[in-house]
Amino acid sequence: MEYLNISFSLLFDPLSLFFLAVIALVSVPSAVYSIGYLRGSYSRGGTILAWSLMVAFVLSMALVVTAGNAFLFLVAWELMSLLSYFLVVFDHKHEKSVRAGTIYIVMTHIGTAFITAAFLIIYKYAGSFDLSAFKQACLLMPDNVKNLVFIFLLIGFGTKAGIVPLHIWLPYAHPQAPSHISSIMSGVMIKTAIYGMVRFIIFILGVNSLWWGNLVLVLAVVSCLVGVIYALMEHDLKKLLAYHSVENIGIILLGVGASMVFIKMGNPVLAVFALCAGLYHLINHAVFKGLLFLGAGAVYKATGTRNMEDLGGLIKLMPWTAATFLVGAMAISALPPLNGFVSEWLTLQAFFLGALAVTGSYKIFLSLCAAMLALTGGLAASCFVKAFGVTFLAMPRSAHAREAKEVSLSMKSALVAMSIFTVMLGLAASLVIKVLVVVSGCATGVDTAGMNFTLNNFTLAPQAGTYLSVPLIALALIFVFGAAWALAGTGRKRVCEGKTWGCGYYNLDSRTEYTATAFSKPFRIAFSFFLLPYTKTEKIRESFYHVKSFKYEVFTTPVFRRYIYEPALNVIVKTAQAMRRIQPGSIHVYIAYIFITILALIIFMGRS
Amino acid sequence: MLMNIFLFLILMMAFAMVAAKRLTALINGFRAQSFFLFLLMFMLAYRADSAELYIVAALLFLIKVILIPRLLRRMVKRIKVGEDLGLSVNPTVSIFAAIVLAYLAYAFTGMITGIPAFFVSISITLIGVFIMIFRMKALAQIVGLLVMENGMFLAAASVSGGMPFIVEIAIFFDVFLAVIILGIFVYKINSLFTHIDVDKLTELKG
Repeated sequence: MEYLNISFSLLFDPLSLFFLAVIALVSVPSAVYSIGYLRGSYSRGGTILAWSLMVAFVLSMALVVTAGNAFLFLVAWELMSLLSYFLVVFDHKHEKSVRAGTIYIVMTHIGTAFITAAFLIIYKYAGSFDLSAFKQACLLMPDNVKNLVFIFLLIGFGTKAGIVPLHIWLPYAHPQAPSHISSIMSGVMIKTAIYGMVRFIIFILGVNSLWWGNLVLVLAVVSCLVGVIYALMEHDLKKLLAYHSVENIGIILLGVGASMVFIKMGNPVLAVFALCAGLYHLINHAVFKGLLFLGAGAVYKATGTRNMEDLGGLIKLMPWTAATFLVGAMAISALPPLNGFVSEWLTLQAFFLGALAVTGSYKIFLSLCAAMLALTGGLAASCFVKAFGVTFLAMPRSAHAREAKEVSLSMKSALVAMSIFTVMLGLAASLVIKVLVVVSGCATGVDTAGMNFTLNNFTLAPQAGTYLSVPLIALALIFVFGAAWALAGTGRKRVCEGKTWGCGYYNLDSRTEYTATAFSKPFRIAFSFFLLPYTKTEKIRESFYHVKSFKYEVFTTPVFRRYIYEPALNVIVKTAQAMRRIQPGSIHVYIAYIFITILALIIFMGRS
Repeated sequence: MLMNIFLFLILMMAFAMVAAKRLTALINGFRAQSFFLFLLMFMLAYRADSAELYIVAALLFLIKVILIPRLLRRMVKRIKVGEDLGLSVNPTVSIFAAIVLAYLAYAFTGMITGIPAFFVSISITLIGVFIMIFRMKALAQIVGLLVMENGMFLAAASVSGGMPFIVEIAIFFDVFLAVIILGIFVYKINSLFTHIDVDKLTELKG
């Protein structure tokens, strides 16, 4: 049983330390936030349970990113999955939570199965579960085995990361957990899958052929677009954020995939740079998505609903939450000078530099990736105009929203801390890049001593000598807004008070407001080829002339569920029903099955 | 020589149980088989002159020859279901089947080791399963399990020279407890359904 001789060694190289930092950065504010969030909603026992589960969950994630042994990694990975499952079903009284938990645990175990298979294949060559032995063994592996291991790892980690079409669990599971857990799950847990990909595909397996990177890039682009389009259609605030996680994982994978392409092309500088951009977006997404989930949780705590159509006007009642949510929304929409802008800008640069460095049709492919990233950014921005506008602006749409109160100090302080991180990661971009270069150098095995990256490695016209710096942009923006404010303040004032978005009409109430559904309609039409929207109308007439009530509902077709998961599920259910025939319920028959098996084994042994 | 005689008797008792038509006969068969097993163990203990083996043999006698058969008899009396075992295969065919099983066990053990005790142990284990499958009364299932256990015990004693002492003791109490618990189940089944015919309990599947 020597294969059970597991050394519980931990690994603290720059890559692991970086992910540990990401975990700490999101978990600590979320923990502070949970003090206020749990109070009043759960019993004393429930609070204690929530805390212990959360601490164990965070520790298991820390173990995942520091495990120096594949076996230990798997144990930690499984621990993380199970603990997060318990947190998803924490509100077990809601039927939705239990359903979400079931989808989650099934999907995550499919993923774990693939990872385990990949590890066992490598183990066959390495003879040990140690990561250094893995790395050695991967040098000797035949190409087709490498390809197989890559596919398995991609499916395994892709399930956890939520890349399309394996994202199906994410929009159910993340919103269903308590908000501080949603923040940790969406901010950090899905990043451990990125860690797995970087560690096991780039660092250990080594990029073997070009199509690996291409596949990752294509999946990343699809995830970006699908995530953001579904987010646009979503009116549950937390579910919307969960779909944005799918999108942002796509953006991170764009960096990782580009890095894989550049490694194979023998361009170490660009490889380091692209991975750098991906990891930068990773930490940024961790921070601003954590912030947004905490903000959404604050809204939920104050109003008791997550449906945006019932919210509105919260900016007056919850100014702190609104302000911090706005910071997060701007960051995720990649607006300068916040951090989301920096990392998406770096990713775009990586693609442009790559497109300049390669020849042939590959130029077009990389440019297309960049274009899709730009489209994603635009759609994300419009989505957050919707999310922020409908939730916080205008008039309250329901009694819940009218009676909202600002949340407690612990929740506010967590929100403020996260927004400060968001701003700092944007302003201190050049410092962060220096750190990330070391991290990606460690992951790609490239000596980065001579490399020096800044924010503008790429300019469309080098001779123009443009200089881009985030603090500079910030200053410029402050100046512009200050000037505009000053200008608006001067001059003759002719004030006419009207209701927000009232267009000068009087006597409008919240029923006449712009709604989230209406806002997203242009996108529903533009992407109707993918969303396949359909409507249901229901009229109740008293007579031909008098319609008593009219109901109009619009739906979009869940393409992946309808065309991939439901057929697959049907096959499984049918097989199970066929298998039921051998279960007549008679104990004698069951014993006979065992007996026949034993006899068959005996006869089989006798033949050989 | 003496050992082979005991082994032969143990195997014969298994055949006798297969041929039995009544519950009492089945229990008596089990009792006799356990008794011969006890004699075998006693002889081994005498040869090895080991105190531990004496204790094992004594426990075997106490539990399998006295306590368990007594418990089973009380069950038969208390539940008043009649003596009939509910054979789904008649004794003649059952005997033939048992012979085939014994042959399979012989062929199988022959490849591993030529120890006759091992052959007997595998045979009676298979015969125990056979009793479990083809007799309808829940009590027969208990006896089948016990016969299997006898086989396992013999296998352990013959191949490895006995399991560690503490394990042996633990198994005895395990078996004893299992019989008590299974007995309770039989009572429950009987009081709920007024019969203990296992083949009628097919409504429990999902």
